[in-house]
Amino acid sequence: MNPISAVKSNWRILLLVAFVGFAVVALFMPGGIVADNSVGGNESLQDSPTNLEFGLGLEGGTRMRAPVTGMAAEGIAPDAVSDNGQVDQDRIDELEAALRGDGAEQLGLEPANASVHVQDDGTVVAEVFTDDVSDAEFAAALQSAGADVSEDDIRDGVSQRTRDQIIETIQTKINAAGLSGGTVYEQTTPNGDHYIVVEVPNMGSDELRTILSERGVVEVVAYYPTESGNQTNETVLTGDDIASVDPPQQPQSRPGQSSQGYVVPVQVSEEAAPGFQQQMNDQGFTDPSEGMGRCSLGTINGTVDFDHEGEQYCLVTVTDGEAVAAHSMGSSLAETMRSQEWANDPIFQMGAQNQQDAQSLSVNLKAGSLRAPLDFEESQVYSIEAAHADQFKQYSLLIGLLSVLTVSGVVYARYTDTRVALPMIVTALAEVVVLLGFAALIRMPLDLSHVAGFIAVVGTGVDDLVIIADEVMDEGDVSSERVFQSRFRKAFWVIGAAAATTVVALSPLAVLSLGDLRGFAIITILGVVIGVLITRPAYGDILRRLLTDR
Amino acid sequence: MAYFDVPEIEYNRYSNRQLAAVPLAVLAVALLVLSGSFLVYGTPVPLGMDFAGGTELTVETTTPADEIPAAFDQQPESVTGAGGENQYIVQFASSDSQTLREQAESNLAQNGDSEIIQSISSTSASFGQGSQQTALMGLVIAFVGMSAIAFLLFRTFVPSIAIVISAFSDLMIPLAFMRLVGIPLSLGTVAGLLMLIGYSVDSDILLNNHVLRRSGDFYESTYRAMRTGVTMTVTSMVAMLVMGVAAFLFGIDLLASIGIILFVGLAADLMNTYMLNLSLLRWYKFEGVRS
Repeated sequence: MNPISAVKSNWRILLLVAFVGFAVVALFMPGGIVADNSVGGNESLQDSPTNLEFGLGLEGGTRMRAPVTGMAAEGIAPDAVSDNGQVDQDRIDELEAALRGDGAEQLGLEPANASVHVQDDGTVVAEVFTDDVSDAEFAAALQSAGADVSEDDIRDGVSQRTRDQIIETIQTKINAAGLSGGTVYEQTTPNGDHYIVVEVPNMGSDELRTILSERGVVEVVAYYPTESGNQTNETVLTGDDIASVDPPQQPQSRPGQSSQGYVVPVQVSEEAAPGFQQQMNDQGFTDPSEGMGRCSLGTINGTVDFDHEGEQYCLVTVTDGEAVAAHSMGSSLAETMRSQEWANDPIFQMGAQNQQDAQSLSVNLKAGSLRAPLDFEESQVYSIEAAHADQFKQYSLLIGLLSVLTVSGVVYARYTDTRVALPMIVTALAEVVVLLGFAALIRMPLDLSHVAGFIAVVGTGVDDLVIIADEVMDEGDVSSERVFQSRFRKAFWVIGAAAATTVVALSPLAVLSLGDLRGFAIITILGVVIGVLITRPAYGDILRRLLTDR
Repeated sequence: MAYFDVPEIEYNRYSNRQLAAVPLAVLAVALLVLSGSFLVYGTPVPLGMDFAGGTELTVETTTPADEIPAAFDQQPESVTGAGGENQYIVQFASSDSQTLREQAESNLAQNGDSEIIQSISSTSASFGQGSQQTALMGLVIAFVGMSAIAFLLFRTFVPSIAIVISAFSDLMIPLAFMRLVGIPLSLGTVAGLLMLIGYSVDSDILLNNHVLRRSGDFYESTYRAMRTGVTMTVTSMVAMLVMGVAAFLFGIDLLASIGIILFVGLAADLMNTYMLNLSLLRWYKFEGVRS
């Protein structure tokens, strides 16, 4: 037999061998075939002998799914946007005022809890991000501003833009917490509910929940005495006024002054800087004889203690409505403000009690505040310790091996012919290797559901090989190539039909967002496809060689 | 390991009615169980945490199993051993995972250096409700899709409907089994049921194919189809049983439920394929009106 015809007649086996070889390289070659280590943690790759990546269930970590708190009224006030797309900002502000103002019909919400904006399609959407407002109140407030809305137009949930902002903010927050490999995405159920899904490896559920439940609305409040002598609070800077943030640092202690707490250097935006400077000057913060350096408020349990005597001039850092630190105006800052020069280079230091607070303050400023809070009442949480997940990994490997052994045993008991049974088992295993290689190649994070999929693949794989073997050996020994071909083709019709039903049965699971089951469906479908296209034809060739050549 | 071969059954000793009566009776009992359960409990099968909401904690503690419930303000639904030593799975109807975690951490005795809470999983009732609808939709789509393929493959009514009926029965019998044994419907069991739609149809297709598309005597074709089909189904059943039992011992719920459901469903499939489907086919072949 010359080499070309040898290749020709065995091309199916060669194809399988090539695929297995490729899969083995993808599995074991350090760094993988696609040398892209930017995704996921590098360190996790090096301590495992393969390139397989594992999901939360086998690696440890936490996943939370939660909807966003809030409701929205879409398509209100068509008059705010003209036909050529010109937005009437005054009208938008008017609507927003209806939600934030304290008037009769108005809702009096915090600025962070209400929003009106124009969507990409030119419609106006109003949203509130709290459960304290009823549908009727929301509708009434919008009507008071002349919007054409009834109670029935109010729906639960928030706009796409809000969800996108939330996802972006959470992503920044998780990255800032120093954890690689965390992902945030949106999931939509078939009945139109939107969930924000956050997955973080190697983090406990309590820690993640703390990060997610912090709204992260940061404000700087001026606490100073008015002319009548009473102390008053006034918000002078909000998170939106901050243009850039530096990492937290400990201020250098000057002689004669003990260094207290940490600071986060920030740059105030060009728009907000002159106003802030003016306010500081007007309120007396920068006057050496009045407010400069005059703040002696202490803290109790992490919040500022406002119980004091005498006049206080403090810049208070407020996070989510809680005063976390109070600092006085330093002499150098006061000087540049007095001379009106500060606004040209508006650097400012925000105070924090300790390094941890400073870190979270810096993260909150960088990531911005969570546009709307997540609704943990309706959430789903899955969290697993790394040690326990590792146990699962070993157990599922063991279960997989046991299943393969069982299948091999039954197949051997049925055929009692090594010529038939051995290639059958080897072929089914080759299928798993090809699939594992594929998973390593596309860096699919494997979970328990994928393991179930692998076992199912061995099951369907062997089933189909049984069909081929029985059909080919049907009426006695296979005498010629032509007989073999015709029988093989007959067997393939059944296999194809069976594969089609399996794919159809599992495809809803691969598409629908039904939690953990997606992996199971994807692996099983992939396995069936690889099986029909590559491994089963190859098994046919192996059988033919074993049965016809003798 | 014992050598096994598929016995040849003398089908001509039984009439079509006799053959079909057994699987139809079993199906009727299954439907009765499911509808009775629906009337009494409001759901045909008990809903697990994934669909009804609740919390499942895997704890590692030296506190004995019977004292674990006392650690929580709320009575747990169940406490079961999980794989490793001193590991337990504790289930609650409440989805307030925060509180439960705190109670576990403060009231259970720590086992060496291991964390008390090994894993925590909680689903709110409303989220479960959504999953329920999604799962039901998935099952319906899968079933309809499978039926469409069956009709497309054989293009004649009786053989196609025979496949659809036995697949339907293959789903109903394990569901009734779940109600009787008290296995709750979880994501794992739904996956098992979907897999069952794919698996169970294989042997029906094989049988129909041998009988309708091959020349030769009906009983001879049937025997050949059975020899292959029974081997297939038994292989899968044994594999699923091993996987189910091993996973149950190790405390891996997902794999355990997939394994057990497939085992029961495939057993039902053996009966449905070689009694119900076969009797319909024989009737069609010998007495049915050819279209």
